[in-house]
Amino acid sequence: MKRLLGLAAALALPIVSAQAEDAVLTIGATVSATGPAASLGISEKNTIELLPKAMGSVAVRYIILDDGGDPGRCVRNAKQLVEEYKADVIFGSSTIPCSIAIGDVANQTKTTQIALAPIHTSDYVFSLPQTADLMVSGLVDHMKAKGVKQAAYLGFADSLGDHNYASFLKFAEPAGIKVSANERFARNDTSVTAQVLHVMQVKPDAVFISASGTPAALPAAELKQRGYKGQIYFLHGAINSPFLRVGAKNVEGTIATAGPFSVARELPDSNPIKAHAMALINAYESKHGTGSADAFAAYAWDAHELVKAVLPQAMAKAKPGTPEFRVALHDALEASKEVAGAGAIYTMSASNHNGIDNRARVLVGIKDNKFFLLQ
Amino acid sequence: MDSQIALILIEDGIASGAIYALLALTMVLVFATTRILLVSQGEFVTFAALSFASFQLGVTPQIVWLLGALAVIVSVWDSVDALREGLGRRIPSILAFNLLLPAAVIALSLWAAPLKPPVLVQAALSVAIVTVLGPLVYRVAFQPVASSSVRTLFVIAIALHFVLQGFGLLFFGAEGFRADPLLDIDISLGPVLIKGQAILSLATLAVLTAGLYAFFEFTLLGKALRATAINRVGARIVGIRTPLAGKMAFALSAFVGGVSGILAIGSTTIYYDSGFLIGLKAVLGAICGAMLSYPIAIAGSIGVGVLEALAAFWASAFTEAVVFSALVPVLLWLSLYAAPTEEGHEL
Amino acid sequence: MRLRGLLIIAALIIAASLFLPPFYITLANYVGLASIVVLGLVLLGGAGGLMSFGQAAFVGLAAYATAYLTLSYGLSPWLTLPVGLVLTGILAYVLGALTLRLTGHYLPIGTLAWSISIYYVFANVPALGKHDGLADIPGLSLFGLQLNSGRGFFYLIWAVVLLAVVSIENILDSRFGRAVRSGGRTTPMAEALGVDTARVSMAIFVYAALLAAVSGWLYAHFLRFVNPTPFGLSASIEYFFMTVIGGATSTWGAIVGAVFYIIGKQWLQTLIPALTGRVGQLDVIVFGLIIVGILHYARQGMVPFVLQWMPRRRPRDVDTNAEPLRRRAQPQAGTELLRVANVEKRFGGLAAVNGVSFDIRAGEIVALIGPNGAGKTTMFNLITGVAPQTAGEVSFCGQSLRGRRSRQVLQQGVARTFQHALLRPHMSVLENVALGAHTRGRSGIARAALRLDRREERQLLGEARRQLERVGLGDVMHVQADSLPLGKQRVVEIARALAADPLLLLLDEPAAGLRYEEKVSLAKLLTGLRAEGMTLLLVEHDMEFVMNLVDRLVVMDFGEKIAEGRPDEVQANPRVIEAYLGGVDECLPLKRAG
Repeated sequence: MKRLLGLAAALALPIVSAQAEDAVLTIGATVSATGPAASLGISEKNTIELLPKAMGSVAVRYIILDDGGDPGRCVRNAKQLVEEYKADVIFGSSTIPCSIAIGDVANQTKTTQIALAPIHTSDYVFSLPQTADLMVSGLVDHMKAKGVKQAAYLGFADSLGDHNYASFLKFAEPAGIKVSANERFARNDTSVTAQVLHVMQVKPDAVFISASGTPAALPAAELKQRGYKGQIYFLHGAINSPFLRVGAKNVEGTIATAGPFSVARELPDSNPIKAHAMALINAYESKHGTGSADAFAAYAWDAHELVKAVLPQAMAKAKPGTPEFRVALHDALEASKEVAGAGAIYTMSASNHNGIDNRARVLVGIKDNKFFLLQ
Repeated sequence: MDSQIALILIEDGIASGAIYALLALTMVLVFATTRILLVSQGEFVTFAALSFASFQLGVTPQIVWLLGALAVIVSVWDSVDALREGLGRRIPSILAFNLLLPAAVIALSLWAAPLKPPVLVQAALSVAIVTVLGPLVYRVAFQPVASSSVRTLFVIAIALHFVLQGFGLLFFGAEGFRADPLLDIDISLGPVLIKGQAILSLATLAVLTAGLYAFFEFTLLGKALRATAINRVGARIVGIRTPLAGKMAFALSAFVGGVSGILAIGSTTIYYDSGFLIGLKAVLGAICGAMLSYPIAIAGSIGVGVLEALAAFWASAFTEAVVFSALVPVLLWLSLYAAPTEEGHEL
Repeated sequence: MRLRGLLIIAALIIAASLFLPPFYITLANYVGLASIVVLGLVLLGGAGGLMSFGQAAFVGLAAYATAYLTLSYGLSPWLTLPVGLVLTGILAYVLGALTLRLTGHYLPIGTLAWSISIYYVFANVPALGKHDGLADIPGLSLFGLQLNSGRGFFYLIWAVVLLAVVSIENILDSRFGRAVRSGGRTTPMAEALGVDTARVSMAIFVYAALLAAVSGWLYAHFLRFVNPTPFGLSASIEYFFMTVIGGATSTWGAIVGAVFYIIGKQWLQTLIPALTGRVGQLDVIVFGLIIVGILHYARQGMVPFVLQWMPRRRPRDVDTNAEPLRRRAQPQAGTELLRVANVEKRFGGLAAVNGVSFDIRAGEIVALIGPNGAGKTTMFNLITGVAPQTAGEVSFCGQSLRGRRSRQVLQQGVARTFQHALLRPHMSVLENVALGAHTRGRSGIARAALRLDRREERQLLGEARRQLERVGLGDVMHVQADSLPLGKQRVVEIARALAADPLLLLLDEPAAGLRYEEKVSLAKLLTGLRAEGMTLLLVEHDMEFVMNLVDRLVVMDFGEKIAEGRPDEVQANPRVIEAYLGGVDECLPLKRAG
């Protein structure tokens, strides 16, 4: 029956959306459930599907659209969410270019966008993931402590790769570390031998592999096979179970900066993040299997937590589905303080739409094919 | 770049090139027989590779559901067609090939997966799954429109690629898989370390090329296929049924793709969408052979692999650009010196 | 394109803009942007047979150009448009020079190659924002009015779409359009009719690139954000899809294809999750299956499929009062027209033609006969410039034809037909014959697009009609060429050759495959042409047809001339008999000419 209703709704979109909704919060999401960023988008989609259909006394409806990683589609989806579904807030998208593209729609229509990729924020654009600067500086601190003098960068040939490299340079130089190689590889390259050879040629003390998910394991495997003995570092995007499965013995002893979500079970109970993280893990893994929840699920969860935290404030000023509500929601978000989520604790302001601090960053190591908290 | 690095890169390039060459061979075969530029061949590679990974984890590869669905659709369709033409006696053989054979493969997979049989059995099952899938895909997607223009067939092939890739994402998920190399030895040849998997790839290329050659030269079925490739209408006139040729070509293509997949997943991570780029590079190799010549297709594919490895070393961000741009002078040369194709044989 | 039809479409578009909900306006804008690119592909690939997978690169070039110039230099977008067009035009010219030489499947792959390369340039140049791209591009404003709203852009985009449709319809319905549809280099026929296939290919390639550039410029200012992704391989594939689904040979097909693809995908995206609860994974599968399904039923695309059920439009009448074209001065009967002197053609070690000499005088019908493999068609190809001679001299009206290409030979006054009737199957008989008159016109792509060629077009069509009536096929003028029986197709070919106003007509086996009555009327036609002063050279196998028709025969065997003379002389020649019959001791009495 629900399906039939859904079908009818989909077929009668223009008519249905024209009618006024009664205190129903509409959360629109556009994620990359297919395409090159599918592993990110699917996590986020699965999480949103788990979210409760009510916040307090307010009913919530979620509209999830797939954009396949194409910025043009992202914009179409964002416009559909705003113009057709009268979304009060947009979650998305999963990749940097898509999120940037949506930003324009968000600012023009004055609809809050909570991006799930680390981008520069603006008027109506918020971004939850840890910034490149935050995570990379943590890595560089560890490198410096370990006495690394020469490092190599092996990253994705995309926005993320560019951003992380820029951050790496920014922090490495003052720390006395020379970055002597900048190699790139594509997500589904079948061989990274050439890049690895290039990296090993400069004989670095440390190699920073900047990639997300399982692709990050390939260079590590190649480095180990070619006899590299230095320290390999990863970034938080690589930290998930499939990465461990594919990396196997090749990622033993590597180190990564991660969000606290990745080692949720090891966090002290006093850490407010732990409660949220465990709730997400239990909900997600009971449906999708053990070890399936990753950092991207946490971003989607936290977006929801933030909206939930500021909803009463916004409801006091206007009703959902109206332009005034969207402005109120935006203002309320900017005023949020110490909102705990599964991945970080957020304190926003008019000038800070990212809202996180060092509590969102931990260092993890890999031993016996498992992550553990370093410190 | 010193000579040692150059040797390593060339070895790496040849290993990838061997896989491209395998696919280029069947791509030429399929094109010559059916005029289809099968860009979806890459999906056979990923399906076999990911099925293999699935078996390794003790899980039945979900792709068997697609196989089952297609088997039922084709069986019903062909049977209805046979009845309509009054050829009811053909139904047993129709069902045998299109229903019983896939069913046997599915049943075997369901039974064997949790038992975690030896690696070679897992590999054989994975290849069997895609090999049986190939002709079914041809029957559903291409056979009804086998006489269309090359352009229409190409668009269907691309649409099919999206469909199959979509099924790949649905059944195998977005994360990559990797398997232990089938031949986990490394041979030292002077300063160069040759990976066992690379040798296996080249050996497979040699064996399959020889096998295909023997098949085309010495068996009746192979000669029939060759005849169709040379002149489709003439082959029909002498009694070679075009659907048979098409299905055979697809079965071979799927088989070779499957074997390539098993080889590939031992040396790299395979994702649900890895097949497309591998298939595209195979197209480059096949084009070098003017979609006609098998030896040049092989040479071209290995060349693509080596060029890729070298380009990745010099300018990794521009690897694809270099590989594809290097193709342009090759194409120019081919245009000027190779025999012109018959009209209607192009996009 | 009928003005009335255009006005109806324009009215529909304006109505749509007023009644469609805002999101559908957005979708319509995307459809329009894609349509502009796909229209270029219809011209290039559908009509011209040159499928390109590189259009997305041209879109990207213009988009990045305007983004960069407006952001870094503050230039007005209206200024960056011509800059983008010029840049794209230059790039298209260079790339075209490189890739248009490629034949067959090499061409699409070649376009794929540089398209992928250009994508990587976009993605790796720091000034262009690398993978992040450039954001906050200024919008467009027209006379102080900001075109920010979806509706503002809607009018602009669709105005451009309509202009593009009109221009391409105009181009296809002209002398240049016939040249585009003449088959290019895949057939020797186009060049033999005087079409400069290289220039035509380059012209449509650049035009398609310019259309893509306009779309790119609009895209940048509509989306206000550019990044490499929409200009890569998958975008080119999408354009290709839209072209083929809509119908590569139809201009409206471009729009239908774009509508189907973009709106279909967006609609499925909300429908499938509503039906199955699964987001993202099933839509792409269902969409692919739908496309496969459509192509199973509508192999040529949706628009041609629908059109076949609709009544055919009544073809326009050809103006019989159009001013006739200039004709060549006819030579005096009996003057030497063609002289072939010691011509040789070697393929490696084999001499296909070895030291053949003969001449043809004005007003006579000469036949070149000989057993199979004698070198007759090669001789034809040598005379008409289709193949270069290894040695010897061919001269026409005293001027040497050595080194001349078939186009130039045609302009001298030598026209030919082909052994396999090479008519353009999907063009009407009239258009095929008008193609023959190609060298007698001058309008190129620009005049065609702007519809400035109407006077010349009337003359060319009038000439075509005249020739058709001359050969007795005036009643099948508007029929599609491939629906005629072979005999009539042969005669259409002759009309086409006549439309070039030749002094010498070369016919390659005109009687082959004809029935008896058709041969009789053909013979009557040819003698009639001779009576009007035309000179004819035939290659023929049918002895009875030839003996009753010609003034002189030239007999070839194994590449050499073995006899020449009147039909009765040649029939009695023992060498000729031996060549045909393999050696007989006595003369066989052959039927005398009646």
